[in-house]
Amino acid sequence: MKLQTASSVISFAKSLETESAKFYEGLAQRYAQGKDVFLSFAKENNRNVAEIERAYYGVITDAIEGCFAFNIEPEAYAVETTLAKAASYSDALGRAIKLEEKIGKFYSDAAEQSKSLMADVPRAFMLIAKKRNNRIAKLRSL
Amino acid sequence: MILEEPITGVPLVKNYINGEWVESKGEIRDVVNPATCQTIAKVPISTKEEIDAAVEAAKAAFPDWRRTTPLARSRCLFRLKELTEEHFEEVSRIQTQEHGKTIDESRGETRRGIENVEVACGIPTLMMGYNLEDIATGIDEYVIRQPLGVFGIIAPFNFPWMIPLWSAPYAVATGNCIVIKPSSEVPLSQMRLAELVEEAGFPPGVWNVVNGGRTVVDGMLDHPDIRGIAFVGSTPTARDVIYKRCGETGKRVIAQGGAKNFMVVMPDCDVRATIPAMMTSFFGNTGQRCLSGANLVIVGEDDGFYNSFIDAVVDVASKIIIGYGLDESVQMGPLRDKEKKAKVVRYIESGIEEGAKLRLDGRKFKVTGGYPDTCFLGPTIFENVTPDMKIGSEEIFGPVMSIMRVKDLDEAIELANANPFGNGNAIFTSSGKNAREFQYRVTSGNVGINVGIVAPIAFFPFSGMKDSFFGILHTQGQEAIRFFTESKVVIQRWF
Repeated sequence: MKLQTASSVISFAKSLETESAKFYEGLAQRYAQGKDVFLSFAKENNRNVAEIERAYYGVITDAIEGCFAFNIEPEAYAVETTLAKAASYSDALGRAIKLEEKIGKFYSDAAEQSKSLMADVPRAFMLIAKKRNNRIAKLRSL
Repeated sequence: MILEEPITGVPLVKNYINGEWVESKGEIRDVVNPATCQTIAKVPISTKEEIDAAVEAAKAAFPDWRRTTPLARSRCLFRLKELTEEHFEEVSRIQTQEHGKTIDESRGETRRGIENVEVACGIPTLMMGYNLEDIATGIDEYVIRQPLGVFGIIAPFNFPWMIPLWSAPYAVATGNCIVIKPSSEVPLSQMRLAELVEEAGFPPGVWNVVNGGRTVVDGMLDHPDIRGIAFVGSTPTARDVIYKRCGETGKRVIAQGGAKNFMVVMPDCDVRATIPAMMTSFFGNTGQRCLSGANLVIVGEDDGFYNSFIDAVVDVASKIIIGYGLDESVQMGPLRDKEKKAKVVRYIESGIEEGAKLRLDGRKFKVTGGYPDTCFLGPTIFENVTPDMKIGSEEIFGPVMSIMRVKDLDEAIELANANPFGNGNAIFTSSGKNAREFQYRVTSGNVGINVGIVAPIAFFPFSGMKDSFFGILHTQGQEAIRFFTESKVVIQRWF
């Protein structure tokens, strides 16, 4: 089912952040060479949730289009967070890059759709999309 | 995702008088969740003795409270603000459970209510007077603002949490004491608020809540110790009961009434952004708000624009997800009760009888989640509506859009101004000139420019004109401070 309300999109964003945090915590345990980066990503995810909530709960009022601001197909942004037991470090990085690309796209699309309708929320989404893009460069450098 | 209900069991709502939770001796009624049709609480219809007791408690608390420094009063409000933030989600879900609105709408209502508490926290500066030295040689003059005593706040059903907060924080911040009468249909979020008020440390008697109906309202209006009333409700009650009787008894009054808001769409509008604004304006809160769009006025003789815009509106409206507001996917909840639904259905029937073209029939709808359809209704859209039709002129208070066409902006403004209401009209355009002309000439207290719900932020007054407002000063912000205080002028000379 499409996500059209702000509440459902915020919940979806939070689930993406939580799932991907778990994914990075798992990578940190398995691949010592990227441990610090993975843990920093997981930690940043918690901050992202706080930023999203702050933006949403801070601006949601009876005057804005909370129930009609989005048109998100969640399946299009579903992320694969399981990794085969035999997966190499390189496989893990590849998976992480794909994950970041999808989540980054979710934030960009959600920001674009709600632009001028949801006050600070699209701005928060764009900032997180930027952070996710920066992660891709960092992952590629590992 | 379906969110958990905060109210469990069937609690009995009590009155909050003089810092005590008191069981009423009045008749007990059910509070029914309109989405599930389950009884979620019992509410008393309090007696005259009970409203008198609340006013007496407020009157007794007043001398000490007004002597409490503005700084100390603002600290109580700061604590209340913190507590409401802490319980933000809980009180939002209570509103959805008691009223039926979607969770986004309830959270929006919670935020706006808290915003008013935040603004009132600034009372040490907001309440300052002004002065002029040497009005004549050696003589100075200054104004101080003083509280009046006890105020009554009478709330409607459509925004159970927020509307009392348009007034209450300013009333107590300025040193007055209050008695709130929530709507008996939706008393639960006000009960939770009173619990938070108690926890915030307001002294007994400063903030009282008495549940009930006409007896409580009459008790407030007739009581000589109530110095003013802030009321939000229908126009007949605002004008013929509240405003009139406050005049007769010498009370200050803010009486906010009904509305019939015009959303004027110019062919140069940003269609992509305007469509969601239309949905929120006409169908948000299931049309049960005095700022809802009622008449959609399409300007110009361009049939291509008209047809494509209306097709898009009908398409999006026909796909609105209807259901229980605690389901996060839901975009529109039920009407508050079956009687209100029946009233809206009668308007739909009258539209058909009077010859409007029914483009989308809200009587045919699907409820997500299998809830009883008792109070639900889908969005309805009529074309070819004229201002003499009932659906084009009267307040429906439901999810009904009446579409009209006019040749130019002048005609649109004249159409809006001819309606007796004047609450929240809006224009959608990319032309600054058109926007300014509309703002300048339209007779409504709140004006939207590319904004479909013209709900003022708490720093600004919630205005209203013509049959939408009776009184002078408004709720919220500086005007509320003036409403809840008297100006005392001092002229001093020292020999």
